[in-house]
Amino acid sequence: MSDQQQTLSIPSLLLLAAFTALTIRYFFFTKPSTTTPRANPRGANPADVEQVVTMFPQIGRREIIWDLQRNGGSIAATTERILARGGLDAPPLSFQPPIPASATPSTAGTSPGQMKPAHVDLITRYNLSSKISSPLSTPSDGTGTGSQRGSQTQTWSNNKNERQALLQRRREEMILNARKKLEEKERQQLGQRT
Amino acid sequence: MASTIASRRLFHEYKLLTSNPPDGITAGPVSEDDIFLWEALIQGPDGTPFEGGIFPAELKFPKDYPLNPPSMRFTSEVWHPNVYPTGLVCISILHAPGDDPNHYEKASERWSPIQSVEKILISVMSMLAEPNDESPANIEAAKMWRDRREEFERVVREGVRRSLGVS
Repeated sequence: MSDQQQTLSIPSLLLLAAFTALTIRYFFFTKPSTTTPRANPRGANPADVEQVVTMFPQIGRREIIWDLQRNGGSIAATTERILARGGLDAPPLSFQPPIPASATPSTAGTSPGQMKPAHVDLITRYNLSSKISSPLSTPSDGTGTGSQRGSQTQTWSNNKNERQALLQRRREEMILNARKKLEEKERQQLGQRT
Repeated sequence: MASTIASRRLFHEYKLLTSNPPDGITAGPVSEDDIFLWEALIQGPDGTPFEGGIFPAELKFPKDYPLNPPSMRFTSEVWHPNVYPTGLVCISILHAPGDDPNHYEKASERWSPIQSVEKILISVMSMLAEPNDESPANIEAAKMWRDRREEFERVVREGVRRSLGVS
């Protein structure tokens, strides 16, 4: 009887010892190690963010942090994306990383009330600011240049690069025309009021 | 094998959409190196608060397209009952016939290989004009659309102006 108890108690003693060790370790040794890991558990490295911001000041920090976070912190991938697409995806609204106070973009919160993600406008995003002709000089949408006429008829090319360029131009024209129209509308409304 | 079918079909659709583009829609691959990722620009339909706006969206196609539909996400701000705050578009044509969690969609409205990118984009355009408040993706926008229509329209118009950089 006592023999049997003896044999049982050795493994249970070992278990108890292991359990105690773990408990002590849990209470006394893990605390410091859980509080020290990275300050921002799933955030991007602030230095990386800064680096991208200096390269592309027109892109919002929030977008950059979001993109870095999604691609595992690769500056190269984020840069590539900005260069290829002229901008980054807008992060979801729920994504509000801590942004240094000095760095908050001045465009934030332009309109009261609704939730406003800090979206970059299309002119900035597609890099069209240089192509906005002065509004007064071109009152109607761009019928002036011959190349635009040409693009109406030729839309498909068998050359891959040409196709890409044509698509790009159609996108740009669409945005620029929309902007011109809106500006014209605003002017008319202003004219009516005064 | 499936992905070659998918890329051929996508290329074909790209060609059709380019040679004969529907009004107010420009769409194509972001880069032909990856035919499974497209960018589309949709013009806001006339006679709606979205009028005059240009709404860019990203379409991601599965490797087994056209068996399964792409996902579509607006990459700019779109305040609309059927667009999640993340930009993800929620309409029946983007749902595979199999999955209908809410059981309100008719099978004929859902995705099938006879649909196309063009049909998706046209459906999204008409969704902008006529929100469906049976399946709100953006609850706040849906409430505002239902109860405070004027405010809804004002918010949308402001978004349009902001997105075109006119202020």
